Amino acid sequence: MGLASVSTASEGIQFCIFDLRRGQNEGQELDKILFFFPADLPFSTQLSVIGLSEGLITFTRIFSPEAACEVIEAERHSHVFYEAESDIWMVMVVEKSKEAEAIWRIEDLRKVLKEVHSLFVMFYGPVRAMLEKEPNGGLIRSHFYPFIMDYLSDFLVGKRLQLPSFRDCLKERGNVQMLTVGREAAIEVQSLVRILESCVGNTQCYSLILFQDLLVSTTLSPDDTINLFTYAVQRLTPHALSSGASSWSYLRRASTSSHAGSVSTMAHSGSVSEQIYHSSDISPSGDNNHRVSRPLQHGKWSKGNDGFLVTDIWGVDVGSSMIASPTVWLQQTEERMYLCIYQYKGLTLILLMPVSSILNGEQGVSAVKQQVLENASLKILKVEEKLSKGWGGENAYHVGGYRYLLVDGDRNISRASPPGKVTTLTKESLLAMSKLREEVDLEKGRAKWDNAGLEKDLEVCIRAKNNAWVIARITRGKELYMVLEKANETLLYASDAFEKFSSRYCNGAFSLD
Amino acid sequence: MSGKASSSQPSIGLGGSGALSHVYIQYPPLHCSIPGLRGLHYDDGNKLLISSTSDQIFSWKTVPFNPLATPTCDSISEGPILCIRFSLDAKLIAVQRSSTEIEFYNRETKETFFRRCRSESENILGFFWTDCPLCDIVIVKTSGLDLFAYNSVSKSLDLVETRKSNVSWYIYTHESRLVLLASGMQCRTFTGFQLSSAGMIRLPKFEMAMAKPEVNSKPVLDAEDVCIVTVYGRIYCLQVDRVAMLLHSYRFYRDAVVQQGSLPIYSSKIALSVVDNVLLVHQVDAKVVILYDIFADSRVPVSAPLPLLLRGFPRSYSSSRFRESENSEVNNTGESVIYGDNWTFLVPDLICDISNKRLWKIHLDLEAISASSSEVPSVLEFLQRRKLETYKAKQLCLGIVKTVILERRPVSVVARAIDVLVTSYSHSIKTGSYFKGLKNEKTSLSNVPNVNSPVSSTDVSTSRIDGLGKSIRHESAAGIDSESLNRSSTFSASESEDISSFEPLKTNSNDLQLGGCKANRASLSGADSANEVHRSFSKYQLPGSSDNSFNANISEQQDSQLTSPAISPDEMYRFVFASVEEEMGGDPSYLVSIIVEFLRSANLEKIKIHPSLYVLTIQLLARYERFAELGLFIINKILEPSKEVALQLLESGRQNIQTRKLGLDMLRQLSLHQDYVLLLMQDGYYREALRYAWKHKVTTVQPSLFLEAAFASNDSQHLAAVLRFFSDFIPDFHNTEDFNSYYRVLNEMNSSIAA
Repeated sequence: MGLASVSTASEGIQFCIFDLRRGQNEGQELDKILFFFPADLPFSTQLSVIGLSEGLITFTRIFSPEAACEVIEAERHSHVFYEAESDIWMVMVVEKSKEAEAIWRIEDLRKVLKEVHSLFVMFYGPVRAMLEKEPNGGLIRSHFYPFIMDYLSDFLVGKRLQLPSFRDCLKERGNVQMLTVGREAAIEVQSLVRILESCVGNTQCYSLILFQDLLVSTTLSPDDTINLFTYAVQRLTPHALSSGASSWSYLRRASTSSHAGSVSTMAHSGSVSEQIYHSSDISPSGDNNHRVSRPLQHGKWSKGNDGFLVTDIWGVDVGSSMIASPTVWLQQTEERMYLCIYQYKGLTLILLMPVSSILNGEQGVSAVKQQVLENASLKILKVEEKLSKGWGGENAYHVGGYRYLLVDGDRNISRASPPGKVTTLTKESLLAMSKLREEVDLEKGRAKWDNAGLEKDLEVCIRAKNNAWVIARITRGKELYMVLEKANETLLYASDAFEKFSSRYCNGAFSLD
Repeated sequence: MSGKASSSQPSIGLGGSGALSHVYIQYPPLHCSIPGLRGLHYDDGNKLLISSTSDQIFSWKTVPFNPLATPTCDSISEGPILCIRFSLDAKLIAVQRSSTEIEFYNRETKETFFRRCRSESENILGFFWTDCPLCDIVIVKTSGLDLFAYNSVSKSLDLVETRKSNVSWYIYTHESRLVLLASGMQCRTFTGFQLSSAGMIRLPKFEMAMAKPEVNSKPVLDAEDVCIVTVYGRIYCLQVDRVAMLLHSYRFYRDAVVQQGSLPIYSSKIALSVVDNVLLVHQVDAKVVILYDIFADSRVPVSAPLPLLLRGFPRSYSSSRFRESENSEVNNTGESVIYGDNWTFLVPDLICDISNKRLWKIHLDLEAISASSSEVPSVLEFLQRRKLETYKAKQLCLGIVKTVILERRPVSVVARAIDVLVTSYSHSIKTGSYFKGLKNEKTSLSNVPNVNSPVSSTDVSTSRIDGLGKSIRHESAAGIDSESLNRSSTFSASESEDISSFEPLKTNSNDLQLGGCKANRASLSGADSANEVHRSFSKYQLPGSSDNSFNANISEQQDSQLTSPAISPDEMYRFVFASVEEEMGGDPSYLVSIIVEFLRSANLEKIKIHPSLYVLTIQLLARYERFAELGLFIINKILEPSKEVALQLLESGRQNIQTRKLGLDMLRQLSLHQDYVLLLMQDGYYREALRYAWKHKVTTVQPSLFLEAAFASNDSQHLAAVLRFFSDFIPDFHNTEDFNSYYRVLNEMNSSIAA
């Protein structure tokens, strides 16, 4: 039964969030725990996981105050650490199963932690702020639990929680995928952006435009863009709406049917686990009376008649008895913004406007919506037409013979072979690539500390057991990973193939020598 | 801009330029100041104002209009002059002496010969010279047209062709090369011929509409009530219907004459002028003029009816200096005589004041017109269509666009304004009118699908027939209005066939006598109106030498250099964006929106943008740290790659490494290898720089720079590697100063490590 049933330790995944500043006195240790999964583990077990983590953090801080422990590799478990905010740590413990599928890339798991936190902050603001608002921790716990459970439900495959594994080595979490557009379409899009943002009046507002599951334009800061993009692809785009189900853009399709199955049970299981959670009495004085919005809840968004997406996730506005508009908190401006989401065919437009500058709350928002309909409708039609004309479909970015991942770290953009094409690779190739990426991650981490300010170039070319070429190259912040399975035997051939790809699809960014 | 325009007006006695008006006449006029002059005639073929004494004729050039023009003098024999016209090559002078006789003078040989009517039953109504290849002169008689060729050997006219037709009266303008022959009881049935350089075309017969005052009465159409005007290279006939108080318009096509709707009139006496393709309907009784720009078949006046203004009349000047002697004259030229009884309106834009023997030229006050409307796009369209005062129109356009941006009008409004300017520029590039030198390339016009510019005689090119034949038939089948309906651009394709492109010589033979049609009719009906014209006037010397005119010429000179008010992207940048940017300050997102709209517009018209606008955009975005957007602009090539753009990215990227990298990448993609290598080194990537330099054969960067960078890294292995690299690949590097000094340095480093 959904997460509730997997929440026994048998699955071998533990996930906790704790605050080092809390519970420092004997007997108050429970106070540290802000979240623990599975929630039904005995407190003694929970505390021992957290105690170990805390001990390691304290110890490693002696040597490396800024960046303490990143990972512990024990004989049977890997502990992945992420310091989300200062002294607020997230730790994920995964079991090294004999089962061959359970081979993780640590950096990938850490990105999961980072993503949970970023999304949480986008909806509720920083954890620390919430803790300060209600020092007993009830508020944060009552937010964390449903949010993270909703988040994790996206990783459900059947009844199993399946975290990103080596099979996802040609994907990069925490990035956006962009639509490549021609100059004319790009100008039209920019023109639309300006019209859209002018609908709010003179206040500074932002927008994000997606076509299908790909980003077209953003005026948000890079971090906010990633978060909102992630959320949009997860819950808002036409694809997310129609499947009505959980679907990380890079996890889907192969397992869509099983997802659909699990969704129906989610609502139920959620309530069950909440009961478990509350009965567990971690938050004795937790304010259970106030309603917690669950933005990651499934099937809550739908498209209204006017083209705007609606949801009752945020409840009902008290003043106007209208459905409350969604709001998000921007990291860059540290300001709460109304979300106004319009969808026309494949085009999803997200307009963000400061809550503080919209008078009359919900009425103000609907006035802006009216403006959008009046001023931008024509332009939206035009842009949609232009973009869909130029779009090559799901496999548009497939390059025959190559399985690749291209990451532009400066712009937080990645592009990869379509998932359907990646699945054609053999397990050996994927394992080799996963291993290679692990090494590259380490190397990158080292370079960051050794050589501050200068970026390191790196090139690795490996002949895997199955005779596939597995290649990684990093040049000035850009990374290109590639698997060539049907390549010739010589290294020269592989490097030629790489060079060709670089000059044709990367503007020669990787062709330095 | 506007400063200049106003400075072109004399500072004294502005003639009440504060007064509201959209059209003005500029003091001083051309004054026919020869004593003993007896009449004024206008030869529209040669644009000459002609007057005579008993045995001499004087002719003043009216194009270009110069109040100080000196007349040319020719001797002719004494006798009545009903009509006088110079041949188009100016070698012959034809004078209609009576309704049966025309006398010809050869100006070189002083020989004369006559042409007389053969039969008693027919009268000569008038004549005109033509540049039609068939003949040189056409004589219009009550029995039809006679076409004659001048035989220079026998010094006589050879009859080429006769077109029989009953003619009550006729009108002709050289501008249109069109002669309309009126016949029938009411004189409202018309036969038209166009005699252009492409030959003679017969237009279908048509009737003009006339409202009946009462059931049984049949009003007779007067020649005075019909006028041919040429606007944007199209030919229209306008007809005053005094009963309905309407001005009907008919447009001529090769095979059709189509009524185009009517304009209301507010005066029983109407006069028409065309200034710079704007139709001026003078409501003479009401003493106001209404402007129509019938480009888009719009029946809406350009502006409200306002009086015609006399500008630059030196009140104080005259009062101090001429009071005693010439008081009367001064009074006569005062504003009180605007639309005086003696005014005759000449095609297209002249007014002859017969009683004072003065010739005024009508001007549009573009500034006043543009100030009187708040519809920015339509004002810009109007200004962009102007061909005479191009400089002023251009400056006004720039000013208007600047103002709407500074006023932060809604982006959509500004976008439409920009669209107008960009489309207009694009059109002027296509037709070549933006570049002076390309002006003659008319042949290209026939490729433009919409060139159905009617029967317009204005098209002199030989490709005309093929070009027009098909398209016109097509057009008239599909409904003629479609031409202007389906064209959203500011200009018709025929625009560049503008009248102004005629060589002066070819221009014209519409020897309207001063009284115009009136005079012709006079010969029919007893010549009383002719007498009017021939009345002799009191003669005056032109007072002083009117200094004012010199000022007035300034903007005209600028105009003459500019053939089109179109604004290039470069000018948009310099006079709009860059200057607005200085004045605006604050959040640049509005200005960026405007620039995006401009780029959109320019992209649609495939117009190239100068990199300086891109550089400005980068500065604006970087100043407000909108680096994410800037990245999108670069990646999507909204700001097209160029060295200037790359360097600005590097500059703006001082605060933002990602932006700086975009600049570096752009340099690399533009294959600016040397700059790329130098910048890599500057950022500390000397080994990458060296690899890159090796691959792309960049030999211009000094080895010492690499060596210095390697030395600065304080890594002896790197220094050794770089040194080795140059030793291996540069011949004789061993013998250079660089090698020796860094070899020593390397040894020192190694020994210090060893020690």
